[in-house]
Amino acid sequence: MFDLDLMIDIAKRDLLDLWMAKMLVVMLVMLPLLFIGMFGYMYPPAPSPNPNTNNLGSAYPNLPVCLVVMDNGQMANKIALQFIQVSTGQRLFTVSEAASFQDARNMLVEGKLKGIVVFPQGFSAALASKTSATVQVTVDETNPTIASVVRSEVAGVFNIIDSDMSVHNIDAIDGGQVNSGFLVQPISIINEPLISSSASSFQFLAPGFVALTVVTGSLVGVATSISKEKEQGTMDGLLVAPVSQMAIIAGKVIAQTVRGLIQGFITLVLSVLIFNVTIYGSPIIMVIVMFLGTASFVGVGIVVSTVAPDQETANVMASLLQFPMMFLCGIMFPIEQLPSWMQLIGKALPLYYAADALRKVVILNASMNLIMPDILILIAYAAVTMVLAVPLFDKAMRK
Amino acid sequence: MPEIETHDLTRRFGEFTAVDNLSVQVQRGEIYGLLGPNGAGKSTIIRMLSTLLMPTSGSATVAGFDVSREANDVKKRIGLVSEKLILYTRLTATQNLLFFGRLYKVDSSTLKKRIDELLELVKLTQFKDKAIGSYSSGMRQRVNIIRALLHDPEIIFLDEPTTGLDPQSTRFIWDLVKRLKSRGRTIILTTHMMEEADELADRVCIIDHGKVMADDTSRALKDKFHTESMLDVFLSVTGRELRDSTSQHLSMRGMMAEA
Repeated sequence: MFDLDLMIDIAKRDLLDLWMAKMLVVMLVMLPLLFIGMFGYMYPPAPSPNPNTNNLGSAYPNLPVCLVVMDNGQMANKIALQFIQVSTGQRLFTVSEAASFQDARNMLVEGKLKGIVVFPQGFSAALASKTSATVQVTVDETNPTIASVVRSEVAGVFNIIDSDMSVHNIDAIDGGQVNSGFLVQPISIINEPLISSSASSFQFLAPGFVALTVVTGSLVGVATSISKEKEQGTMDGLLVAPVSQMAIIAGKVIAQTVRGLIQGFITLVLSVLIFNVTIYGSPIIMVIVMFLGTASFVGVGIVVSTVAPDQETANVMASLLQFPMMFLCGIMFPIEQLPSWMQLIGKALPLYYAADALRKVVILNASMNLIMPDILILIAYAAVTMVLAVPLFDKAMRK
Repeated sequence: MPEIETHDLTRRFGEFTAVDNLSVQVQRGEIYGLLGPNGAGKSTIIRMLSTLLMPTSGSATVAGFDVSREANDVKKRIGLVSEKLILYTRLTATQNLLFFGRLYKVDSSTLKKRIDELLELVKLTQFKDKAIGSYSSGMRQRVNIIRALLHDPEIIFLDEPTTGLDPQSTRFIWDLVKRLKSRGRTIILTTHMMEEADELADRVCIIDHGKVMADDTSRALKDKFHTESMLDVFLSVTGRELRDSTSQHLSMRGMMAEA
């Protein structure tokens, strides 16, 4: 019953149809280009922290921060100066000073500052009486990402100042009898990278985007191409011919998979060429993962095309599925940033596993064995959705 | 044995009965005209006979094969020109015809020869490599008709083949239909044009509300109603009331989604 030749004829015609629409082809190339461009520049590569030189590194260099020194003591001024030296030296902050907290706060509200560090009255006195002193940090909460960067970088700068002071304090107390480094920082950390060069955020994003492009490209493609033929009436031409419905479905799926893979390939090439993403893994395994990612979703595409009364609705339905998946499946942010119930939804979607597997292959050079759980889940998805979709298609076409 | 035969053929869409216990026979080599107001059930009959729609009850055989149980045998022997154009507008005439011909497994050299002949027949050879989207409606319909003839079917369904065409194209298509009849093909034709039924159909079947209201030669029908005008016959049979309806079945025709 199943006819391989006809399936390939149908697939070829679908691709020819696409090829004849030159403007659409241009758009389909532009889409990953824009995506990769936008996110590539939004996530600049982060310099890696180097513990040996106390280098903190920042993805957001030179954030404006203001010091308010309310204490007139010598220590307060000395440490404020040290703060300026360390943070400007490492290009973390551009530091200004204000006379009062209220002035600084106004500037922050106006958007001129991202953070305020206050040395309160009694700061020097506390240190002089050999108790610990406090500084007060206020950040611009309207931007949570920048806020947490400022917080952790301020803490980092004070860590450096702290250990420096501790060394001095200990030396002053016991006169150099013990190695003060042993007391201040008995254990120090050296970062041993998992892969030879440093991983930028983009290294995380790129494989996710490739997975997203391939998977949703074919989902939208299958749904659109079937409902388009239904709406225009050409589907009757296929159905009235002695062609099995399996061959029609398979033909459409093959065409849209090829389309998705080409788009995914463009995304990958661009991220390598423009954003220096390094591919560590095997291209063959990558293609297998991309193919399975596509297969896992075409059933959904078929269901959408049979449920939607016209092409426009099918298109919107497919995009409606595509959009939340971008967030739920760990494409833009690690899934761990989501509340646990959302994580569960994300993990119920095959895109999560496609992105996960692709990331492991691209970044960590994972072997087929290591990503086998992902692979098996994708295969299971493909099988189950197809088994559900094909009879539904059959029913919808003949009723 | 009739080429097409239906027994109590019925199709319901929810509450709406589009075709109601239809029993008709069409002989081989005949042009059988289906006439009826909008929503009378003409297209539903064509879709069931061409295996695109399952009957709710009753049965139909086409070329001796049951449309439900032996759909594939039916498909090989029929050609369909439906209300909507079955052509891909982005592709050229040649690309379209090659694609649809392959679906019937016509072998490559025969297919190419046939496409050339048919394009010549409908005088479109010089436009064969232009996209269908750039064609006029008359040109499109000429390609659409030869698209249904690529596998040389015994039975041809023409659902309103000249609606919206200019008189030249209409005349051209009528001549083409007569030519097919002269070669022994059986043709089922639906139309709103009384002139078309008069000119082409050996027998006219007037359908309303899914039922046969009259089924005879046009001469016999005119004699019966004492008129020389097919339009008078038609209006006598179906009444003068306007058929405005927005049934779900009509709004979704051709888009199989139905609740």
